[in-house]
Amino acid sequence: MNREKDAVVSRRTIELIVAGTLAIVGIGLAISNWKLGASWAADGPQPGYFPFMLSVMLTLASLYGIFDALRERHGARGDAAFVERAQLVRVLQVLVPTVLFCLGTEFLGIYVAGFLLITGFMRWIGTSRWITAIAVALVLMASLFWCFEIQFQVPMPKGPIEDRLGY
Amino acid sequence: MDSRSTAWGFGAIAGAVCLASLPAAAAWEPTKPVEFIVPAGAGGASDQMARTIQTIVQKYELMKQPFIVSLKGGASGAEGLMAMKQAAGDPHKIIVAQSSLYTIPYATNLPFSWKDLTPVTLMALDEFVLWDNVELPYKTTQEFLDAAKKVSTTEPMKMGGTGSKREDHILTAFIESKAGVKFAYIPYKSGGEAATQLVGKHTDANVNNPSENIAQWRANQVRALCVFDKERLPYKAKVTETQSWNDIPTCKETGLDIDYLMLRGIFIPGGGTPDQVAFYDQLMRKVGATPEWKEYMEKNALKEAEFGPAVLKAFLEKDEPLHKQLMTEAKFLATN
Amino acid sequence: MDGTAIESLLHGFVVLLTLKNILLMMLGIILGIFVGVLPGLGGPNGVALLLPLTFTMDPTGAIVLLSCIYWGALFGGAITSILFNIPGEAWSVATTFDGYPMAQQGRAGEALTAAFTASFFGALAAVLLITFLAPLVARFALRFGPPEFFAVYFLTFCSFVGMGKEARHKILISMLIGFLLAAVGMDTVGGSLRMTFGFSDLLRGFDFLVAVIGLFGLSEILLTMEEKLAFEGKQAKLDVKVVWRTWKSLPRYWATLLRSAVAGCWLGITPGGAIAASFMGYGLAKRFSRDPDSFGTGRIEGVLAPETAAHAAGTSALLPMLALGIPGSGTAAVLLGGLMIWGLQPGPLLFVEHADFVWGLIASMYLGNIAGLILVLATVPLFAAILRVPFPTIASSVIVLCAIGAYAVHGAVFDIWLMVVFGIIGYVFKKLDYPLAPLALALVLGDRAEDAFRQTMIASRGSLGVFWSNSLVGSITTLALLLLFWPVLSDIVKRLRKPRGGLPTEAASS
Repeated sequence: MNREKDAVVSRRTIELIVAGTLAIVGIGLAISNWKLGASWAADGPQPGYFPFMLSVMLTLASLYGIFDALRERHGARGDAAFVERAQLVRVLQVLVPTVLFCLGTEFLGIYVAGFLLITGFMRWIGTSRWITAIAVALVLMASLFWCFEIQFQVPMPKGPIEDRLGY
Repeated sequence: MDSRSTAWGFGAIAGAVCLASLPAAAAWEPTKPVEFIVPAGAGGASDQMARTIQTIVQKYELMKQPFIVSLKGGASGAEGLMAMKQAAGDPHKIIVAQSSLYTIPYATNLPFSWKDLTPVTLMALDEFVLWDNVELPYKTTQEFLDAAKKVSTTEPMKMGGTGSKREDHILTAFIESKAGVKFAYIPYKSGGEAATQLVGKHTDANVNNPSENIAQWRANQVRALCVFDKERLPYKAKVTETQSWNDIPTCKETGLDIDYLMLRGIFIPGGGTPDQVAFYDQLMRKVGATPEWKEYMEKNALKEAEFGPAVLKAFLEKDEPLHKQLMTEAKFLATN
Repeated sequence: MDGTAIESLLHGFVVLLTLKNILLMMLGIILGIFVGVLPGLGGPNGVALLLPLTFTMDPTGAIVLLSCIYWGALFGGAITSILFNIPGEAWSVATTFDGYPMAQQGRAGEALTAAFTASFFGALAAVLLITFLAPLVARFALRFGPPEFFAVYFLTFCSFVGMGKEARHKILISMLIGFLLAAVGMDTVGGSLRMTFGFSDLLRGFDFLVAVIGLFGLSEILLTMEEKLAFEGKQAKLDVKVVWRTWKSLPRYWATLLRSAVAGCWLGITPGGAIAASFMGYGLAKRFSRDPDSFGTGRIEGVLAPETAAHAAGTSALLPMLALGIPGSGTAAVLLGGLMIWGLQPGPLLFVEHADFVWGLIASMYLGNIAGLILVLATVPLFAAILRVPFPTIASSVIVLCAIGAYAVHGAVFDIWLMVVFGIIGYVFKKLDYPLAPLALALVLGDRAEDAFRQTMIASRGSLGVFWSNSLVGSITTLALLLLFWPVLSDIVKRLRKPRGGLPTEAASS
């Protein structure tokens, strides 16, 4: 038995979490829109009318989703793995760096963070040598910088390094 | 084509002359590219004004740093206003604002006030004109209002406009209370849309700015009934075959005593120093002195306003309470 | 009218065929493809950014340059949709549905050729329409008021929403989420804020592009990573002949092309826009196909239909802009601003007062699209080759591009986070068989449909009868309802026919 194939979480659990979350969100939105005015006035529906109806429908559909996920006939499929251990590890190998990249964008700017992401990804997830990874990342980010900041003048989030360079 | 290039040529000379006559450079100047925020959609009146200013600044090299227009028109412009509020202390952002400065906060409880920004200068005042479809039989304001009064309770006339609880809607409510009529106000996304909907007879009238209806007016599809100002527009060159902007009577002349103007002004984020304000004020004065700017003003029938932060502040202090009063009377204030 | 149209057009060609204008045309197309490929930096941006450059040029040269950026962006939007499942432009979302599966099967070159050729066909149909029917069409567009707009959105929706293979409640949930997301932010008709809960980042609502970059693009990288460390379709052979082979198969799909071109032209003029057109084109192709279930698995019609419709709509959207002064699309709105700054007033008189300019522009539509087609076809092998780059390099670069795209839409770092969240949602939804297309469609059409509906209600004082109040709106509404209930109707028809078809054989056997 290979641990790599173990299910981290079953399909049914995720179905229940998704439907449950949506049902709660639906109730919250319905309340918010009810307060805004959700009736049909003399000159047509009020601002909250459609969103209120939609939220109520979302809640009902999600509740049906919960009921559906718990039903017996989905038994075998429901118990199946939503994601296997090895798969989850691989997904996190992309997701975690992506989140770190977003954090980096807040502090270092998108160009430096992007450079770090591409270099790191090519070196550790891929098998590129340091020199290749750095060269590719540098050329790519520099050309993006040239294109957005200098040619198109679309300001991107920038950090201390660009600030030193006067951008 | 030739007349255009001559105009450019004169512009260069005139620009050079007025640059020389202006006081010495201000103590502060931008050290980074300046972002010019437009709290409106692409192609609209604010966007056009911003791009005209940008072009003039680039053409005459009035500034060392780049000058970049950035559209933030989400939520009827609230996006741009909030971006400016959050940029407090950053003098490299400026905004070209209009009366949504107070109408949006009043209508939606948005935590924003023009006092969160540092006023720089007025660029112009925008007029409003009462227009109806040329195929309707009402040739004067009085005829139009009489007809509107007759159907007020049964099937009110349809008045088109830009957005809900914004300047067009407020002005419509103002007309309703002054003239004792009732309209069905239909909010569209832009003045351009309101103009075409009037031509297509989906609405009976609108209160668009001159620039928003000029194409339809020149094509003799819409009729200008009156302008909401104390005096007539100064531009006497013929725009349509028979009429100039100056030929449109004021609403007061036609018995509807309303004057209503909208500011188009420049602000920097909160906490701007007098030096920073002075830099942008002088920049805009230089822009205002170019023939391109004058041509733009006339083409869009904008009303000239005095430059400087003092005039803008005085205008805001009078205009904001007026809007609060009008919006309260029209029941446009946010309740929750 | 016809004689003068051709004469004016020929004159337009003469004006255009100078070396300078042809160079500007090439430059515009290349720039356009470039901004079309970069997600988030769309046609409107490209045109807006170059606008100031053109103020010192003569108006004809300027409009050639800018309109060619527009054509280029229309062509370029399809490239990343097909290669990476990331729509470069909002109107190329529907292209991903079959384009990306084709690329995965190693048919990227075929899909790209089909997309470009279809775009060209759509544009050509629209330009012919503009050339010969401009005044007539302009008058027709004026007949569209709020009820007509609502009917058109409703029709788009009905043509697209068939019953998919997924569980019904999941289709419904996906659609509801799309509608709710579309309603967040400022409400145009009521003037109040909805569902923003005091967060200023929610004021502008959920942008369609930010959502689809995450839902389609990022989630695809996560799914690919889960399976293995590679984009499929690597084995795609570099083959210049793929263009010729694809072309030979195209005449077979004439009905799809024609149907999409008509739908596209119509939505461009009215102006429902290229995004709605692409969805409607895809929906109609699926609806009328003999084998609708195979859509989404890499059918060439699934690429042809949305691309033809989007390009036809994008091109014909220029007509209401020129003739009425109303922009049919974001890019058209920016061009409109440009025209005014050059001293040309778009509107009914433009055709009379500046005939040279108008016919020059129309001539540039023909030439620009031909030049565009040649240029993009030449790049097919190049783009197909991108798939051979090792996965880690591509994946990380694509993540950076997605982030830049999400940021560029509104200039907000918040949108990058939002894109990541949508990426995770997309990953979970795809694994649980929630369909994403209804969400995207509802998000893009939801608020516009609601605005049109409520504007209608104000004008009609709450009466629904207005949707059948004249022949135009009545026939659109009826058509929409017919399409909506098409599956049910065809079921009934089948059942009614069966007994009759069955009886004679039974009689014969007994």
